Order: sequence, then C-alpha cells, then structure tokens
Amino acid sequence: MSSLHLPPAPSAPHAAILPIPFERVLPNGLHVIAFQQRTGPKALGVPLIAAQLIVRGGGSSEGDAAAGLSQLTATLLTQGTTTRTAFEIAQAIDALGARLDAHSGYDAQVVSVSATTPVFERAFALMAEVLRFPAFAQAEVERVRTKASGDLGLIYSNPSSLARLVANRVAYADTPYGHPLSGTVQSLATLTREHVTHFHSRWFRPDNAVLVIGGDLAPDAAFALAERTLGDWYAPAQALVPAAAFEPPTARARIVAIDKPDAGRTAVLVGRTAIARHAPEYAAAIVAAALLSGYSGRLNQEIRVKRGLSYGAGASLAARRSPGLFIASTLVDHTKAAEATAVILATLADVAQAHVSAAERAPRVATITGGFYRGIETIDGIASTLGELALYGLPLADLGAYVPRIEAVTPAQIQHVVRSKMAADDFVVLVGDAKKFSDALDSHACIIGASDLDLNALI
Amino acid sequence: MPHSRSLAEAASTAIVLAPLAYTDRTLPNGLRVLLVEDHRTPTVAINVGYRVGGKDDPPGRSGFAHLFEHLMFKGTANTAPETMDRLTEDVGGYNNAFTSEDLTNYYEVVPSNYLETLLWAEADRLAALNITDAHFITEREVVIGEYDQRILAEPYGMLDELVNREAYTTHPYGRGVIGNPEHLHAATLADVVQFHATYYRPDNAVLVVVGDLDPVATNAWIDTYFGAIVTPPGSVPRIRVVEPEQRAEHTYTYTAANVPLAAVDYAYHIPAANHPDVPALDVAETILGAGKSSRLYQALVYGTQLATTAYASADLREGPGLFGFRAIVSKEKTVAEVRAALDAEIERMTREPVLESELERAKTQIASSYVRSRQTYNGIALQLVRATVERGDPSAVNDDLPRYRSVTAEDVLRVARTYFTAANRTVVEYLPQ
Repeated sequence: MSSLHLPPAPSAPHAAILPIPFERVLPNGLHVIAFQQRTGPKALGVPLIAAQLIVRGGGSSEGDAAAGLSQLTATLLTQGTTTRTAFEIAQAIDALGARLDAHSGYDAQVVSVSATTPVFERAFALMAEVLRFPAFAQAEVERVRTKASGDLGLIYSNPSSLARLVANRVAYADTPYGHPLSGTVQSLATLTREHVTHFHSRWFRPDNAVLVIGGDLAPDAAFALAERTLGDWYAPAQALVPAAAFEPPTARARIVAIDKPDAGRTAVLVGRTAIARHAPEYAAAIVAAALLSGYSGRLNQEIRVKRGLSYGAGASLAARRSPGLFIASTLVDHTKAAEATAVILATLADVAQAHVSAAERAPRVATITGGFYRGIETIDGIASTLGELALYGLPLADLGAYVPRIEAVTPAQIQHVVRSKMAADDFVVLVGDAKKFSDALDSHACIIGASDLDLNALI
Repeated sequence: MPHSRSLAEAASTAIVLAPLAYTDRTLPNGLRVLLVEDHRTPTVAINVGYRVGGKDDPPGRSGFAHLFEHLMFKGTANTAPETMDRLTEDVGGYNNAFTSEDLTNYYEVVPSNYLETLLWAEADRLAALNITDAHFITEREVVIGEYDQRILAEPYGMLDELVNREAYTTHPYGRGVIGNPEHLHAATLADVVQFHATYYRPDNAVLVVVGDLDPVATNAWIDTYFGAIVTPPGSVPRIRVVEPEQRAEHTYTYTAANVPLAAVDYAYHIPAANHPDVPALDVAETILGAGKSSRLYQALVYGTQLATTAYASADLREGPGLFGFRAIVSKEKTVAEVRAALDAEIERMTREPVLESELERAKTQIASSYVRSRQTYNGIALQLVRATVERGDPSAVNDDLPRYRSVTAEDVLRVARTYFTAANRTVVEYLPQ
C-alpha cells in the first residue's frame, strides 16, 4: 500500500503571533485595555472595532432572596435610557449596523458593542449611554421580569438544565454561587425597580469596571476614545465595597435525585466545587476536563462507544473568581441512570489512579489550544479573552502564555488535580423518572419530587 | 454627554475593506485552487465546493444531492466512517458540510500543522469514496429523519418547499433541496455510485484554503493528493432549463395541522446572483425587512401589530432567484389585512424613491454584515467558494462592497418597478387547519 493510502502525520505546531494588549487607568478609576488587530500583507485586517465593559459583581452579589437581579439589570440596560426608548435604541443600533448586548454571569455583568470603523464612535457612545443612563422604566421592568419568570418553565422542563440548577444548590448551599442566575418564580416576583436601580448604582461605577477596546484602531486612539466618552463618568462619593471571593462549602459525597416522571430521559451529573480561575492548577484542570470530554474523551468512550448508554457524555469546568464547578454529565434512559452514574465515577477514579499516556494527552491538549486560537480569530473573541483575564486579576501576558502553559501540563499534574479536585467526594444529581432508577440507588439518596423542589431553599 | 469628533466625522465615508489577495490556479485535471495566506492565528480553513446541489438531483430522486453529502462522511477505500470527525475534532478543529440549490460545500477548520492531513482526507473522499449498503441505508434514514424534523415538525418548515414548488413551473429549483421521503426511499446504492462519478470530479470542484499556510508547501501537497485524481472523460451535465416568464399572478392556499398562526408569502421572480440588478435588490431587501427600523417591521409589526413577524428576503442563486415577502398574521388579525399592508409597502417601493437616510442605513447594514463575515478564515473561504460557484468568478468577492456603494434611490425604484409586479408574483397563504 502506498503512503497515499494513510493520512499524513501533522507537522510541528506553528508559533502564533498574538495581539499585544496595552492598559491604562483613567483618572476616574476606569481600567482600560486596548489592542490592535495585526495587519499587513499577510494578516488581513477588517474595519471592525469591538468593546466590552465588564462590571465586577454579577449574580454572586445579588444574594439568594434577590436571585435573578443581575440578569434583570443587565437585560434592562438596553431597554431604554433617560433620553431614548428601547425601540429608539434598537433603531439607532440598526442604523449603524452595530451590535449591542448586555448579560450577566456570577462574577460580572458585561456590556458589549461592535461596529465598523467609520461608525464605531457613535455605537460606543450608545453603549456609554445605556450603561450610565438607563431609564429602568417601570413598564420595562415589569415586561422583562414577567418574561424572565415565564422562561423558567422552559429551563425546568429540560432535565439537563434543571440538573445544573440543582447541582449549584447542592454544591454551594447558601454561598454566593448557590442560587440560580435566572432567579426563581418567587425571587423574581419580589424584585422591583428600586432593586434594579440600587444594584446598578452600586456596581456600575468606573472604579469597578474594566473596558476592553480593540480591533481596527491604535491603542492611543482607543485610550483617547475611552477618555472622551467615559472620562466624565465619576464614581459616587461612597467607597466601593468590592465583590469578595468566598470559600464554598466542603465537598461532600451525596446523591440527590429529582423525580420528574415526564422527563424523556434522566440527566446524570457528577461533580464538585473545584478550583478558581487564578488557581495554579487551572491549566491542569482544563486539560483534565478535556481528557474526559469530546467524542474521543474518556467519558464518551466509556458511556457511548463501549456501552451504548447514551448519545454522548462529557465534562465541564467553570473556573471563576471563587472555586467553580467541575461536572461530568450524560443523559440516559431512566433505567440506566444508576449504571451511568457508576461508570462516570469509575472513569473519574481511573484517571485519578493512573498516569495518562502522551498519546492520549496530545489530542486532548490540541482540542484546547485549537479552540483557543479559533476563539481569538475574531475581534470580539480577543476582547472577551482579555476581559476574562482582567476580571480575574490575571496578567494580560497570559494571553500569550496560555497555550504554552496548557502544553506543559504533565501527567502527574493531571492525575493530581483529578484526584484532589474532581474525583473526590463528588455529589451525584439525577433528574428523571425516579421510580425507574431509585431501587438501584444508595439508601441514603435524597429523592425529591419535581413539584416539591424549591430552589430558594437549601437541598 | 461628550460628543464624538474624529471618528464621527468619518461616518459619512464608506467602509474601506482591503481587497482580498488570493492565488488562483487550475490543476491539469481541472480542479480550481484558491489560496489566501494570513497568519493571525495558527489555524487554517479548508473548503471544497462542488458545483452540484438540489437542482441537480436525478429525476425521481429529489433530495439526493443532500443525501449524498451525508454519505461523504461514511468512509472511503482507505478510511473508516466518520474519519473526518476524528481528523478534526481530535486535533482541535471542526468540520461540516451543507447543500444548497447549486452547491455542496465541505469544510474543515484545524490547527495549521494539520493542513496536509486534511488535504489528503478531502482528496481521499473525492477519489476513493466507498459506501456499503448498510451505511447507505442507515444514512438514508437519518436524512429522512432530518426531513421529519425540519420540514414536518417545524411549524412553518413546509412553507419554503411550497413556495419553491409553486413559483417555479419548469426549473428544478421548484423541487427544493431536502426532497421528499418517497424519492429518498427510492434511492439505491447504484444511484450513489453514479452520482459520485457524474459530479464528484476535479473539474467540478473548487478547493479553497485560507489561513496560516505556506503557499509553496500547500501547492505541493495539493499537487500530490489532488493532482493524482483522474478526471473522467466527458463533461459535467448542466441544467439548461429556462424558467419561462410568469405572465399572471397565481395564488395558492394550503392548510396544515401544525400552523399556529396563518402565514402569507409573496414570491417574485428575480434574476441570477451575478445580475447587475442584484445590489439594488439587496438594498431593497434590507430597507424592507432588516431589523426594527425596516419598513415591514414598522408597518406590520411595531405599531399596528398586524403581524408577529414580517420580513423580505432576496434569495439569490446561480440561476433565477426569488424575492420573498413573508408575514405571520397576528391572532386577532386577518390574512386580508396583512396582505393589504404588505401590498401598500410594495406599492410604495414602486411609487417613490426610498429616502436617502434609508439608503445609507441599508448600505451600512449590508457592509457591516459583510465585514463581520470576513473575520474568520472559514468565512473568507466560504465567500470565495460562493463567488466561484454562484457568481462564476472568485474575484466577485472584491466587488461585494463597491457594488453596493453605487446603488442609488433611483436604482432601487427601478428594480422595484421591474420585478414587484402582480404578474410576476406567486402568493402562498398557509393557514391553520
């Protein structure tokens, strides 16, 4: 057989030349990060500029009773300012061919805008307007709150998304990541315009924000634009009480099953609180999660390829300001829930016990580095990546250090992080038709009817 | 609030997009090869576009080109099924494919050190596709499942099929791309072999590679892996059918059980994608139907709430296309009210020039979305494939912005008067049962 009949092997990975970020703090305390896309005969630039304003203190700062407040606030930003209605904002953005979005996570609220170079300054001015002068009109608050409450039905009807909400409560109890970001019917019902305006004025201040701006403009022009547009945004007199990191409760092995007879299949989640984004084991943990994920990852091989228990299985790691969740998950026939749980636990234990070979590690590392480079193909992607570094207090040079750091992770480091942060004292959350799997569960398992489930309370 | 200065003054000036520099050569076996070198990230996008699509489905085999696209993932003489997934997902990339009326496009995005591997794999499935009966039958069911899901289960999934079927009296565009289960069930493995031999040949394909590549090495690999593929004798069959000019308006009414609210669709015949009237038609599409500032949103959705959605779409193809208007009728309103409002907006387009502000906004929106699609290597590769297949020339990518810049309000008025005539219109009313 000639060599044409086998795929040729890859060459050595090519080095990347990444954009260089610059940073400056404006007199009002706003931390500004600027970058310029690479241009030249062999680097195609596009006449596009993007900006992101990251405001520290997202859902983790709202508290259990006000669950959903940060998302409600973020959504309302673009729904009217003191001088424009929601419709007028949409029209203005349309006319510029721009995009303007706002959303909230546990650690921050993010407002982002992008537009072509000639109109960017106008789009950026609109962004500044929505973040500084939102109207939070009573009618819009009601409309957005009602819609958020209505959307919960869809989240709860899906066993996988409901399982994630339950997992948060099980892992974090009443600590800041324990409640659902989307709120609950009860918490949303208590939220008022006053909650929103107070939350906004508490966190939206220049000394609590990072602005990332870049693409088709020089860093100096970016700093000048930030100063022109946001230089007169002053922090209130009262001192900022910054969002604080916290220690989640100690991980504890337990089984929580939500009996949802109308679910098509059972969602199986195994996990625990793992590490914070700034933790030294971050790179090893990311590689470990990749080792477990994807079609060729360990979980899918064990669950789907070897046993046909499910269409797929994988793992995820949310690395946040405080330790985020590691989760291994799948979706199976109700009668297979206990078996799938056992397979996931055994798969994690396997990785914890033996070194992974270089042959297994290399492709999983490639999925991370390849994904990273594709992520920074776009200007929005570069802005998001830099924004995340700034939010978590990491040096911007980590943009270039990320791939080498991932590639340098050793088998011993993977084994260590799995053993200490992923495969020890894991909780199990099952959401499905419990009568079809409860007999196979440990007698200490906690089984809750879906209609009795209260995400406002501890589980 | 502080006001913008330097950049704002520049707002009246057009968006400047550097011309896309690419190399263009044709191998002795007829394969067209386009390369774009760019080193922003160590990634490459590979696209192989074949000039075959739904319109080329064999008689009695509607949906076959799309079924065939699925089979291209089911193994070759040298590889097992799903090898393309392993060669991309397992090295940090992804792959996929799509079939349109005129084009079947396969693509991979991978770390650039895997370029040679993927060039080999694309050449391999062009040269040595090997489908077993078992794989064929399984995949045929997958495609029929896709039909059930996309066309039958989706509330308005059937509407596009109905509009195409009624608007084209002669041209195979009337059959759509997804086909129908009866024809798919009739397909055989012999059809697969025949289709591959007929359309999957080097002189019917364009290979585009964009990104972190060395042109010398890349061309050498292409010569090795693709250059060795022999082009069969004879030429690729082409659709020569001419859709006759429509001379009177036709109206069709359909009902279906899963239609929650009535829908109205107007389809006007328009020329092919490379026709000089297309930029003005695209501007008309944007003014009428893009976003909350558009005329249709304002007239039908926002104030009057006659419709829950209303939009326009210039559906451009290698052959004659359709300019569509579609509205979903609000619960309390009637089809007649919505049609009257649509008719009024269309009449306005043919009566008076669009406003300068609308024209500017439309050009900005078109240019912005075009610029965004230039951000990724795969976006650039797809633009080159489409320009080559649908407009007959890759250099059309560098005309994409300039040709919109020169559109005037008079141009938009002229194309509206030319194409938005009652005699050129097919109406489909799609009603709840």
